[in-house]
Amino acid sequence: MPAISLTLNGRPAQATVESQTLLVDLLRGALNLTGTHVGCDTGQCGCCTVLLDGQSVKACSTLAVQAQGRSVTTVEGLAGPDGQLHPVQEGFIACHGLQCGYCTPGMMMSATCLLNQNPTPSEAEIQHALEGNLCRCTGYVNIVAAVKHASKLMTSTEKQA
Amino acid sequence: MNAPLEASRFGSGQAVRRVEDAALVQGQGRYTDDHVLPGQTWLAFHRSERAHARIVGIDVAAARALPGVQAIYTGADLVAAGVQPMGVAVPYSPPGGGRFTVPPRRALAHEFVRFVGEAVVAVVAETRAAAKAACSAIVVDYEDLPAVGDVLAAARPGAPRVWDALPDNIAAESRHGDAAATAAAFDRAAFRIALKLVNQRLAPSPMEPRSVLAWMDEGRLTVRLSSQMPTGVRATLTETIPGRTADNVRVVVGDVGGGFGMKTGAYPEDIVLAWAALQTGRPVKWQAERNEEFLAAAHGRDQVSHAELALDAGGKALALRVRTLAGTGACPGAVSIVIPLLIGPWVSTSIYDIPLVDLKLSAVLTNNVPTGAYRGAGRPEAIYIIERLFDAAAREMGIDGAELRRRNMIRPEQMPYTSAMAQVYDSGRFEQILNQGLELADWKGYAARAAESRAKGKLRGRGIATFLEWTGGNALEENVSVTVTADGFIELISATMPMGQGIATSYVQLAHDVFGVPLDRIRVLQGDTDRANGFGSAGSRSLFTGGAAVRVASLKTVDEGKQLAAKALEAAAGDIEYESGRFQVVGTDLGIGLFELASKQSGARFVVSAGATAGAPSWPNGCHVAEVELDPGTGQVQVVSYASVNDIGRIVSPLIVKGQVEGGAVQGIGQALCERVAYDEQGQLLSASYMDYALPRADGCLNFKTAFDESVPCLTNLLGSKGVGELGTIGATPAVVNAVVDAVAQAGQGRRAEQMQMPLTPETVWRALRGEYAAAPVIPA
Repeated sequence: MPAISLTLNGRPAQATVESQTLLVDLLRGALNLTGTHVGCDTGQCGCCTVLLDGQSVKACSTLAVQAQGRSVTTVEGLAGPDGQLHPVQEGFIACHGLQCGYCTPGMMMSATCLLNQNPTPSEAEIQHALEGNLCRCTGYVNIVAAVKHASKLMTSTEKQA
Repeated sequence: MNAPLEASRFGSGQAVRRVEDAALVQGQGRYTDDHVLPGQTWLAFHRSERAHARIVGIDVAAARALPGVQAIYTGADLVAAGVQPMGVAVPYSPPGGGRFTVPPRRALAHEFVRFVGEAVVAVVAETRAAAKAACSAIVVDYEDLPAVGDVLAAARPGAPRVWDALPDNIAAESRHGDAAATAAAFDRAAFRIALKLVNQRLAPSPMEPRSVLAWMDEGRLTVRLSSQMPTGVRATLTETIPGRTADNVRVVVGDVGGGFGMKTGAYPEDIVLAWAALQTGRPVKWQAERNEEFLAAAHGRDQVSHAELALDAGGKALALRVRTLAGTGACPGAVSIVIPLLIGPWVSTSIYDIPLVDLKLSAVLTNNVPTGAYRGAGRPEAIYIIERLFDAAAREMGIDGAELRRRNMIRPEQMPYTSAMAQVYDSGRFEQILNQGLELADWKGYAARAAESRAKGKLRGRGIATFLEWTGGNALEENVSVTVTADGFIELISATMPMGQGIATSYVQLAHDVFGVPLDRIRVLQGDTDRANGFGSAGSRSLFTGGAAVRVASLKTVDEGKQLAAKALEAAAGDIEYESGRFQVVGTDLGIGLFELASKQSGARFVVSAGATAGAPSWPNGCHVAEVELDPGTGQVQVVSYASVNDIGRIVSPLIVKGQVEGGAVQGIGQALCERVAYDEQGQLLSASYMDYALPRADGCLNFKTAFDESVPCLTNLLGSKGVGELGTIGATPAVVNAVVDAVAQAGQGRRAEQMQMPLTPETVWRALRGEYAAAPVIPA
């Protein structure tokens, strides 16, 4: 069975996987990071979205071996090492961008990817970036507001720095 | 600890951050599948690919020989072991009387399969992959039987029988109202409006699929699952599994990734998991794949109606007549029947003073997944009917739809009002809500917006729904236990359930009102039948029953605390006052903190339990106004504005109720525009994934205008609150459909546009604009 090394939430990690093991099963299983969820079996719901070298991917449609030598960020890696919440997390709380919380980690990872590439997205750009993530509770309106809120937090922090 | 003034900003009525969120945004939620036990095995189901067939034989030999397989169970195995079918008791009979009878819903199919997706064989293996591989190796020999793929096919004369005992597939029928007086009203009416309306089958689709982990804990069966009703699940397990009683079964529930009614009560799969844990002695896990959820979790709606409204020359509604066929699926539970036959009809006259009804509702077996509760559960169907009728009547009479509704609304001075369905509304100022709704939606400024749309080449339409709903599930009593601990926490234990609606936050706010301690000192414990039992959370009941109990139990805790403080302070109880975490002897500086008081009690805590019973269901109501733009070239519908004014009585958590209304509205819009569970004529499921079943996505995201009128508290419960969980879903579907019908009617189709049926997909709209409509459903009189 292949052995892989990756950077997981900023720290080195190793695992032995089967060649057909999905990244989401590695994360939820051997690596015990259960914040990444599984909501469908066709790559549609986006509950399993993580960042692979900074790019959002669906961990149900990514093989674990594809993470070899690369950097994976999950919802558990969003907050700072001191426990300071990421602006996206702050935004979701402040704007009531979550209800049951099941889609939330994937939704936040897609939002983080967007904001890293486009710090001040328009509403239409936010909606487009989140099209691959399904939410059944919120009707999306507060999620879009949460991403805008995060964008404001991130740009004002950058200005201060 | 924060100062009292700081703390008081967080009581009921204040928009606080939810107590649930910090964990959930950090990936620290604990959903069922996040739990793994040592020695855990996996269970997978082999499901029927036939809609109706006799099981001739099941060959599990090849599966049993595969590596990792621990156990295999068939329906025959469970019957031989004495596992009972799930019970169905309803107060109805088939047409013409006789005994109520439906196919037994078993944990695993036995002798027959009656819908595609019915679980036939269960495999327990060391890994999920091994269990699934073994399922694939199972060969079931079927003898196909004729199937009925939908409710209309099932109700056709001479249709194949789903259940031999029912020659016409009708399991139950209910009549409400006065047929003769209604007929007389129709005879003398100036206007008679008739519509055929399809309320299509929907998949509730909480994002977390069902998940179960069952194990034995010192002889007790413990089942962890994602459920809105743990006590109900325990009851089903004890009724179906020999030797299991409430004492030796424990059901626990952690975070629930959405419910929407679909996770009420037990499923056959839950029984199989429990049985497998009992038999193997090892923990057994199953998490449904999304495909299995479409195939086997409860669907909602599925009603076809012929609806008629009689009005006098002035537009006053005289009578409502409805004939409904409700698809129950193959092996209905009680909810499959009670929702269309009783709960929906309760609100059939809505907020209108309609003196006469004649309703006939038939529960029809089909070779489909059994229907169950889905957000609104009967009320969306009933409100859709009356709101479509009012728009059709307004169009026929050539008057404004809002004005016609206004003429028919129950007036405040008629409260308490007894409807033609014998339901008593305690409160409601419907015209006041209407006026605010029209104002918020800028009803008067519509013509200018329509002109702007035309200038862009779009067709604009507007729709309104003024409506009420019934909440509470008629389970109106709740108890709450309060524990004050020496380490500085107040724990509230409740049998109601969290499922994303933020009920814990509302409870914490209500307890804060009484205790005046910071919110993070108050914790809510739910989801453990060893700690609390009750109806659970459904029917928008939790706040006004459980929340009232939180208040009562908190007040009683303070009262008992005064007694304990009096002893500790050697003072008279009558001289003790309480404020913000401290008991004080009046007029002195002698006092003791709430938590310090707990430290002086045996066990370093004190516990107080109390309950509350609401006097009646609550009747939340609203005015929802939608505007849409249609693209005449593609038929694409865009909801361009959505304004709603809602009367949900007194509000505890403003952020949460807004989220409930808006999120719920998007579910209702999903029904209006895109969602449909589709079966073919043979009962084969065509929409078994999110590639085929269209959920709303972020790109249709709206900017809602949502307002609340708190001036009309509910008079039958302690909090004055009315249930909010289903209101948005109920209002949005008719508001949006009425808007699309309006646009198509205005585009030259006139009343022909009323033939359109949901979902209003681009194709449906595009064809309607060209005068092409699907054949009207044929519904027996």
